[in-house]
Amino acid sequence: MDRRNFIKLTAITGTSAALTACGSPENQIIRFIPEDDLAPGVATWKPSICPLCSAGCGVIARVMDGDAEVFRNGQAGVIRMGLAKKLEGNPEDAISQGKLCARGQAAIQVTYHPDRIGNPRILAGLRGQSGYSDLTWADAIKGLIAQLDKLAAANDHGSVAFLTRPGHSRRLELIADILQRFGAKPPVTYELFSDDVLRQANAISFGSHQLPTYDLANARYVISFGADFLGTWNSAVAHSAAYGRMRQGQKGMRPKFVHVDARLSQTAANADEFVACRPGTEGLLALAIAGDETPQKASERTGVPVATIERIKREFATFGPSMAIIGGAPLAHTNGLFQASAVNRLNEVAKTVNQPGGISFATASSRVPTRPLKEILDNPPKLLFIDGVNPVFGSPGAWKVADALNKIPFIVSFGSFIDETSALANLILPDHSFLESWVDAAPESGSAKAAPSKFGPVMRPLYDTRSTPDVLLEVAKGLVKPLTGLPNTFEEYLNQEAKASKPVPSPKPQAPGPLQFAEPVFDGDASQFPYHFMPYASQGLYDGSLAHLPWLQEMPDPMTSGMWCSWVEINEQKARELGIEQGDLIEITSTQGSVRAPAFLNPGIAPDAVAMPVGQGHTNFTRYATNRGVNPISILAPATIAETGTLAWSATRVKIARVGDPDRESLILFGGATRERPDWTHGRGDEH
Amino acid sequence: MVQASKRAALLLAAAVLLIATAACQLTSPGQPQWNDPSVPRSRWGTAPVFTPARASFGQAVREFIGRRPTEVAQPFPFSHQIHLSKGAVCTDCHTGVETGPRAGIPGLNTCMICHSQIATDKPLIQQITKMQEQGLDMNWNRVYSYFPESHVRFEHAPHIRAKVECSNCHGTQIEQTVARRAVDMDMGFCVNCHKQKQASNDCLTCHY
Repeated sequence: MDRRNFIKLTAITGTSAALTACGSPENQIIRFIPEDDLAPGVATWKPSICPLCSAGCGVIARVMDGDAEVFRNGQAGVIRMGLAKKLEGNPEDAISQGKLCARGQAAIQVTYHPDRIGNPRILAGLRGQSGYSDLTWADAIKGLIAQLDKLAAANDHGSVAFLTRPGHSRRLELIADILQRFGAKPPVTYELFSDDVLRQANAISFGSHQLPTYDLANARYVISFGADFLGTWNSAVAHSAAYGRMRQGQKGMRPKFVHVDARLSQTAANADEFVACRPGTEGLLALAIAGDETPQKASERTGVPVATIERIKREFATFGPSMAIIGGAPLAHTNGLFQASAVNRLNEVAKTVNQPGGISFATASSRVPTRPLKEILDNPPKLLFIDGVNPVFGSPGAWKVADALNKIPFIVSFGSFIDETSALANLILPDHSFLESWVDAAPESGSAKAAPSKFGPVMRPLYDTRSTPDVLLEVAKGLVKPLTGLPNTFEEYLNQEAKASKPVPSPKPQAPGPLQFAEPVFDGDASQFPYHFMPYASQGLYDGSLAHLPWLQEMPDPMTSGMWCSWVEINEQKARELGIEQGDLIEITSTQGSVRAPAFLNPGIAPDAVAMPVGQGHTNFTRYATNRGVNPISILAPATIAETGTLAWSATRVKIARVGDPDRESLILFGGATRERPDWTHGRGDEH
Repeated sequence: MVQASKRAALLLAAAVLLIATAACQLTSPGQPQWNDPSVPRSRWGTAPVFTPARASFGQAVREFIGRRPTEVAQPFPFSHQIHLSKGAVCTDCHTGVETGPRAGIPGLNTCMICHSQIATDKPLIQQITKMQEQGLDMNWNRVYSYFPESHVRFEHAPHIRAKVECSNCHGTQIEQTVARRAVDMDMGFCVNCHKQKQASNDCLTCHY
C-alpha cells in the first residue's frame, strides 16, 4: 500500500470514529451532585468484613472517587462518589492477617453486579407466574407491618419464621432478639456444607460446641481426614497462613502433612503423602492410628494397607506435636458423629488439645439458639423472612423445599439478587451490600483468641436499598403494639456493650471410652449403583451462592482447570475401561434422579467414586449463573446424620452411563489435566 | 496498477472492519454473548459482562490513533474568563490541585457556595440553582487527560509545590470562556519543562 492509500484508509477510519462519537451516551446521562468530601484521585483504605463465608475475614477496601450508576430519588443516573475499588486482607485482623482468598477478592462484585436489586419490589400477581413491580420503602414497610399486625391480632405470633445462614454475629443476635420480643420462635438456619456434626462431636469430646482452630504453625505432624482447610473449609485464609508458617517457618525441619480422602482436593495435593481410604471409614483409620483399633481390622474396611497404617501410627506418635483434622466429605456420612469423634480421640491421644501445635477453641461468643430447616418444611409458617440463604437450590430435590415454601402465604426476601428461593417471595426488601452497611462478625475459629469485629460503611449506598437490621427495627416500632427495649438503629446496637446472653448449654464432655465403628449407610444398592457420589465445595462458587460472580465463574478450578461449567470427575483408568473419553457426556443416576455433565478424566479420584463440583445448575440466579451446568445436589438422597439432622451429602451411590459425544461448549478447561497420580489401594472394581 | 492498489486498500479496509467487528464478539468461552436476547442489558446499554473495553468502536479507534478534539462540547457555557476577572483563583474551585493527584471538576454545590448569593437574577444561575434543588449536576466533558495506554501517572500537587503556574499547562484561562485544550501535553512538552526546571526525567517519575 502506498502512502496515499494509507492516508485514505486513516481518513476512513477517522471519519467512522467521529460518526460513532455522535450520540455518545455519556452526553445524555443524568448526573447527580457529587459527594462533598471527595479528594479527587486520592485513595483511602477502609476496613470491613468479607461476607461470603462464615470465616469472617477482616478486609480493607481501597476507596477512590469514581463514577457510579445509582438510583437517587427514584431516578437512575451517574454520580461521582467514593467507591470501593479493591479488597485486600486487613493486616490488623486476627483471622485474615492481611491475606484474602480468591472468593474474598471477588466480593467486590457483589456491590457492582448489574443484576443487583436496587429498590423494593412486590409480586404483581401469582407466585411463580408473575413478575414484580417496584414500590417505595414507605409502602413496603407499611405492607409488612400490616401482615405482622394481622398475625398479632390473631394471637398467632408463632407463625412468623426467619430463615438465614448460620454464623456468629451480633446481627443474628439482634434478629433473634426481635423475633423473641415479637413472640416468634428462634431463627431457622440452613447451610449445605454444615459442620454441625463436628461442633456436636467437639461438645461431646471437649465441651466446646464450635469449630476448632488449628495451630498448624507449631505442628510437626498433621493428618487431615478430607478437610479442604486450604481451600473451602473452616477458616481457609487463617489456616493457609498458618500452613505457610508450618512449611517454611520452622527452622531446621519440615513438618509432615498426610491427607486421607477418596479424592485429591486442592489441600490433598499439598500433602506429603496421600492415603486413599474408602468413603465413610476414615474414622476407623483414625482409631487404628490412635491405637484403639487393630491395623488389620482397619485395613480390611478402609482399604489402606496394614504397613501404611502402622507407619503413620508410628510417625504420629513420634513426631509430635501431632494433630488430626476432619472436615468435608468424611463428616457428611450418616456416621459423621462417629467419624468426628474418632478424630477427636486421635487428638486426645496426641495430647495436643489446647496445646501448641494442636487444636484449640477460641473463647466462645454466646451462641444464638436456632432451629433446623426441617421445622419449617414440616410446619410451614404463615410469614417467612428469608435472609441470604437459598435452600431451594442447596438441598436435595427429595426435600421438596420449593413445595413447602409455596404453602407459605407471605414470604419476604432481603436478598440482593433473585435466586431460586427469593423468586418465591411476595415482597423483596433488598439489603445494602456489605460495603454499604454496618457489619460485624464473631468468628468461631481461625484465631486462638476471640476476634470479634465491627465496622461502619465503606461507601454510600448505590441504590435505594436499606440495611436489613434497620428495616426490622423500623417494622418492630411501627407495629400496633410496638416492640420495646430495642435500639434505634443497628449501628447503635453494635456500639452497645454485648449483653451477657444466656449461653446455650453444651453437653458435658464424655468420659473417654472405647468408640465403636458405626457403619456408614449409603443410599442405593452397591450392585446397581456402584459408585460413591462425591459432590464437593467449588473453590470459586463454594456452595453455589457465589455462582453469580463472573470473576469466580472465570476462575479455573485449581485441580481440573474447569470454568463456567459443570463436570464429572471419574478415575482415568476406570474411564478407559468403560470406554469413556474426556468430555464425553455422562449421565449420573441416583435413586433420586439423574444429571448429565461432561466427563473429566482424573487420576486423582478413587476408581469407585465420581465427584462433581457444587455451584452450577442454577435455574434462576442472575445472567451469569442461570442455566449453566447442572446441580449435583438435586440428585442427592435425603439421608441425614441422625444426631444433628443435617444432610449427609456424601451418602449417595450412583451409576454412570456414557450418553453422548463431547461437544465444544460443555467442558471448558483453562489448561491441562491433573498431574498428581495417587496410588489407589481400593475401589478397583473387584469388591462389587 | 493504480486500480489494483485501490482495490487492495479497500480490501484491507474491509478486512480491518470485519476483524474489528468479529473481535468485539469474542468473549471468554461460556460467557453470555452480546447477541443473546435473553441477556438483559445494563441500564446504559453497556456490555452484559464486566469489561475494560471502550464504550464504542469509535471511541476505541479514536484512542488508538490518539485523536482528541481541542474544543470540547460542554453542557453549560461556563466562562473561566468571567470568574477569573472577578478575582477568583483556580484553586477556589479545583480544590484537589494542591493536595492530590487530580485537580477535580467542581460539582454544583461548589458553584452554589457563591451563587446562592451572587448573580441570582441571571437566567443561567437560576438554571443551576434549580438543578441543585433537584440534586442534579453538570455532566462536564473532560478537556485534559492522558490515554490509559500512555501509562502516565500525573500528580498535580508536586507541580503546584514547585510553583509551576496553572497556565503553563492549561493556557491562560482568563482569555478563555469554556475551557479548551490550549496546550498539547505530549511527552516532549513534559520533558522540556522538566529539563528547564531540572526535575527528574527518569521514566518512572511519570510512567508506571
